[in-house]
Amino acid sequence: MRGSGRIIAAAAASCLLTAAVLAQEPARRTNNAPPKPSGATPRTADGHPDLSGVWNGLGDNLNGVPNQIANNGVIIESETSARDLHSGQTIAVFPRNTTRGQNNEQAERAAALLRRSGSNRPLYKPEYWEMVKNLDHNSNEEDPSNNCMPAGVPRGGIPSYISQHGNHVMFIYPGQGGLIATQTMYRMIPLDGRKHTPLQDLDGTFTGESIARWEGDTLVVDSWGFTPNTWFDQIGGYFHGENMHVIERFRRDGNTLTWTATVEDPDVLLEPWTTTPRVALLNPRADSLLPESQPCSERDLSHLVTKEHH
Amino acid sequence: MRATILATVILATVGAFAVESPRAQSAPDRAKVIRAAADALGMAKWSDIGTATTRLPGIDIVNTMEFRGSGTSDSAGRAVKTEYHVALGYNPAAMRVEMIRTGADGGAAQHTIQTVRDTYAWDESEIGAGMVPGKGTATPANAALKERLLQLWTLPYGVVKAALAAGDKTMVSTEGGATVITFPLSGSLAGITVKATLDSNSLITRVETRADNPALASLATQTEYSSYSDRAEVLTDVKTPGRIVRKQGGRTILDIEVKTWESNNPYLVFPVPANVKATAPANSR
Repeated sequence: MRGSGRIIAAAAASCLLTAAVLAQEPARRTNNAPPKPSGATPRTADGHPDLSGVWNGLGDNLNGVPNQIANNGVIIESETSARDLHSGQTIAVFPRNTTRGQNNEQAERAAALLRRSGSNRPLYKPEYWEMVKNLDHNSNEEDPSNNCMPAGVPRGGIPSYISQHGNHVMFIYPGQGGLIATQTMYRMIPLDGRKHTPLQDLDGTFTGESIARWEGDTLVVDSWGFTPNTWFDQIGGYFHGENMHVIERFRRDGNTLTWTATVEDPDVLLEPWTTTPRVALLNPRADSLLPESQPCSERDLSHLVTKEHH
Repeated sequence: MRATILATVILATVGAFAVESPRAQSAPDRAKVIRAAADALGMAKWSDIGTATTRLPGIDIVNTMEFRGSGTSDSAGRAVKTEYHVALGYNPAAMRVEMIRTGADGGAAQHTIQTVRDTYAWDESEIGAGMVPGKGTATPANAALKERLLQLWTLPYGVVKAALAAGDKTMVSTEGGATVITFPLSGSLAGITVKATLDSNSLITRVETRADNPALASLATQTEYSSYSDRAEVLTDVKTPGRIVRKQGGRTILDIEVKTWESNNPYLVFPVPANVKATAPANSR
């Protein structure tokens, strides 16, 4: 009798423990749909939206596969629904049918496919189709940002930090060590009505010459004067020439910031290409700071024996 | 006489499908079988890299693919040596088949590039012809639209996608101990029924198509897929067939040994040239 009482007590304790553990389990987001805006949009004294803030509220803006799938235009809305934003096509959803975790190899292979499954691809001139495919195929060696170089524009995407002033805006893109080795990048962009320097007078740089202006509540950043030594998206082997022209659009709505970039490069593209809109979430902590970037040191490349890549 | 032969072929085809009519399946059974086929091919993927507090379900990751092989294809009733190169995509639905055939007439090699996208079909004198002035010629080939689309949707990945898209119209049955999925195609291929046979590992090994309408009788084909493995240089864990044998009316029209099959969603695009758009049937625009 006493024994069975102990068993019941032990079982009850076990249940309570399990419940406690479950209660501590953080709620997991099961979709990668853009965050819904909330709160008011702050404005500066001149009436424009104030974009200032730390825009890393999603926590995994650069490395996270969910956001990279969304960046690629595939929105997984729920356990049963997904679609390609660019084409509108429905994508079949397959609920996870195993609780067994993936090993690194499986996870990397899956991630490489997931990041490339969307339909929004720039349309290169036919003579470059094979080259783009081969650059992506051999991206471990060919990706210009893999060896601690700046990602460039527009590949850098949404800056993690924006500081807005009367006559300029400041963008900061923290670098990443480890698997995706890129260098910290910053841009100081005039917002004073000045004109571009003639393209032929510019030496190509990673972030180019950028000039900002307001179109209503949208901040438009117009850039040219790039080095051709960058790719213009996170994946895909999307190279460009030195005449690339990029128009970025930033629009703040409450605690969200929506960004698109249009790439014009008639030397290599048949038509301008526009990224799938990306949405960043403001860090909810008003006192949040950007952490120090890890030192960038590329040590993997010489050890790679296959062409599997990110 | 020709009509009699045609009718015989249709009846024989319909008869082959009717040997064991599929029984109605509950949605869970159907979903389970299609899911098993998708898993066997490696189409369902998720990854937890950098996911923080996000845990996404798997999705169908097959979009673009490219494969190369060699073997024989039919040329006016003769099997001729063929180098076979296919680029394909499902979002949008498109396929470019490049063939170099030798020995057809004992003369020069024949080089053809047959392309299809959505409701447009055309031939290219070189890959991407017709997109840049002076760079090749794109010739509309509207009459070949259905036949080219059918090649795309009867590949194993197309079968899984189309079976899912057919929803309740997809039936699952057992024939000779093997699982069979039967479903109608839609859109430009409405009127065509697909029957896919799975092996014990749920890999699609045989795909038959049947036309409901005698006018589509030429679209009745049987394709066999075998020797599955991941044969991409960038490994993806996606299984691809090593041999493809397609028959029509009992005659082998394609027999290809696959050398490489890149399944990592490579950069493959299929823009429709302006002159092809301009000459497509009114209902295509």
